Amino acid sequence: MSRKTQVSDIDRSLYDFRYEEDANDFLESGISPEIIREISDEKGDPDWMRAFRLKSLEIYHRTPMVHWGASIDGLNLDNIVTYIRPKSRMNTNWDSVPEEIKSTFEKLGIPQAERESLAGVGAQYDSELVYHNVRAEVAQSGVIYTDLESAMHDERYAEIIRSHFMKLVPPEDHKFAALHGAVWSGGSFVYVPKNVHLEIPLQSYFRLNAKGAGQFEHTLIILEEGAYLHFIEGCSAPKYYEAGLHAGCVELYVGKNATLRYSTIENWSKNMYNLNTKRALVDEGGKIEWVSGSFGSHVSYLYPMSILNGRGASAEFTGITFAGEGQDLDTGAKIVHNAPDTSSYINTKSISKSGGKSTFRSAVTVNENAVGSKSSVNCESLMLDRISRSDTVPVIDAKTDQCDIGHEAKIGRISNEAIFYLMARGICEEEARAMIVRGFADNVSKELPLEYAVEMNNLIGLEMHGSVG
Amino acid sequence: MPKTKLNILPVRTFERLGVNDTERDIRRMETENIIVPDSENQVIVQYKETDTETNIVLEQNAGLKLIQIFDRKTQTVSKLKANLAENAKLNLFQLYLGSDTVSEIITELNGENAFFSAEIGYDLKEDDQLDINLIANHHGRKSVSDISVSGVLRENARKIFKGTIDFKHGSVGAAGNEKEDVILLSKNVRNKTVPIILCAEEDVIGNHGATIGRIDERHIFYMKSRGIPEKKAYELIAKSKLMKVIEQIDNEQVKKHIYGSLMWGDYLE
Repeated sequence: MSRKTQVSDIDRSLYDFRYEEDANDFLESGISPEIIREISDEKGDPDWMRAFRLKSLEIYHRTPMVHWGASIDGLNLDNIVTYIRPKSRMNTNWDSVPEEIKSTFEKLGIPQAERESLAGVGAQYDSELVYHNVRAEVAQSGVIYTDLESAMHDERYAEIIRSHFMKLVPPEDHKFAALHGAVWSGGSFVYVPKNVHLEIPLQSYFRLNAKGAGQFEHTLIILEEGAYLHFIEGCSAPKYYEAGLHAGCVELYVGKNATLRYSTIENWSKNMYNLNTKRALVDEGGKIEWVSGSFGSHVSYLYPMSILNGRGASAEFTGITFAGEGQDLDTGAKIVHNAPDTSSYINTKSISKSGGKSTFRSAVTVNENAVGSKSSVNCESLMLDRISRSDTVPVIDAKTDQCDIGHEAKIGRISNEAIFYLMARGICEEEARAMIVRGFADNVSKELPLEYAVEMNNLIGLEMHGSVG
Repeated sequence: MPKTKLNILPVRTFERLGVNDTERDIRRMETENIIVPDSENQVIVQYKETDTETNIVLEQNAGLKLIQIFDRKTQTVSKLKANLAENAKLNLFQLYLGSDTVSEIITELNGENAFFSAEIGYDLKEDDQLDINLIANHHGRKSVSDISVSGVLRENARKIFKGTIDFKHGSVGAAGNEKEDVILLSKNVRNKTVPIILCAEEDVIGNHGATIGRIDERHIFYMKSRGIPEKKAYELIAKSKLMKVIEQIDNEQVKKHIYGSLMWGDYLE
């Protein structure tokens, strides 16, 4: 009797180890002006940031809950701890990082990756960055890569932070943007000067270790004219029974003729609510390249937005979503063409298995002034069993005739004809299925940094139970 | 009297995109019931001028070719609900020739091998508005839907087409295809396209495609090189979008009516 080939989950033992936290480090759970003031006190916020946090809290209270996507009924914001005091000050020397935090990141391979293939690394543990380092030659070229809070307190960068912080994603955007504005902590600030090309990537790794906590890091990247940067973001957390919340915010400013590649591998534990907001503003001739892999979390809302604001600006989004048991991953991309001759390309793949639900959601808007713009959207979904679910919900809005927009969506299963063809060439059924699934994900995995491509291959590595009888 | 919200998508999405904003003051809705008995075939032509709700039941092996023409009149709301039993076949042809129209088409493909095709064309100009919400719910095994939409927007015309293929649990072997082809001929037009696929079944095939924009300049160049003036070349290509639908209507009287409404004379040049 034949058995169906199973696609396995990733071995999470790498991520699920954890260390106990000291309860004294936790601020009270919930969201109130007192807690916000306490966070500001802990962090020594400048006056404008104190006022910004409290204003965001007001917006948070009057903004209705988001309701366009997956259910977030299981998330009780009154139980979420929004800030955990750091065990350590920010370090630039790895040896000074506390042993258990160091051990966590060493298990995740972060220092090794830094030595071998990165220009700089930032590591956030719960609410705060604990380590930030950048290679000397990179720093000499004028690149700034530091934690956002140090930058905010440094008079050289304070004004840049103030003039850019939550200007692309204002707190009014949605409830979790407002929450972020009120309770944010940690995150990175990157500044790449004019015409500086960083050949090797920078990476920030976010680890949420504490149970029942939220992580609200803020990433701000500014590329000046002609600059190039590849920024990698990795996220993970161990599994607890209490729901966790990640409501980070990423704001990217891509200057004239600059290129930013922003790669994310999100592998939160499957009790996390990942309600993240990412947005890029791209100037004339600039380019934003998003590479996004969504594998973890219980519920995700993630739609990186590109605002093409200068003539000839372009955006490319390549994404893969893998929804397994108990997961409802609502992912996609938003593009706003807001200048002439802009172009965008969205290419996504979704895989649903073991009762998981994946939703591709996109919005392409071509404004009146975006004459001569082009956009292409391509999304493909693969269903691996009949208890899962896969939806695609794209919206295209054209406000000018001077544009060309194409959209293509496909949904289906592994075709028996393809299996038969491969088997007729001497390949067994199990391997044939494995080849097809790998091939399905291939054009996304080849865009990922090597170590993440390996991680993704592990993820869709196949357990060969099948036999033909 | 409060206005009624119409043409709501079967799934939620970002509110700011304004895809569920249509509402109308409906005073009187006429109801029409069409039942095609077992193994019978019918052809029905409707000229829609008033707000109507059409309920269709196709019994086993029944076939219906339904032609609906929406003329240039005042605001029209049309609701069409169809239930298809095993091997039933519904061929729907719709032509929207202007005005302000809200049209909802919900087809339940209940039976095994139920088949639904829709050929929809539109030619909108001035301040015309059109909101179409088409939903094909696949319940039956091996049920098939094939939806083709093409049209032209001119001047200040605004159009939204929401097309949903929903593979329900149990629709094993079902297939759904949808294609929209929109030509935009003025900088003041507004086009929204929302091609949705919902899937709760493994063994199905769903395809969506949409092309939106201006006419390919290479096509215009080709026609100009054959001596056709540019303006006429644009018109010919725009007409061809509607002809894709019209040529499938094998009823000369209906065709004549359409040509008259479009002021194309007695026949297409």
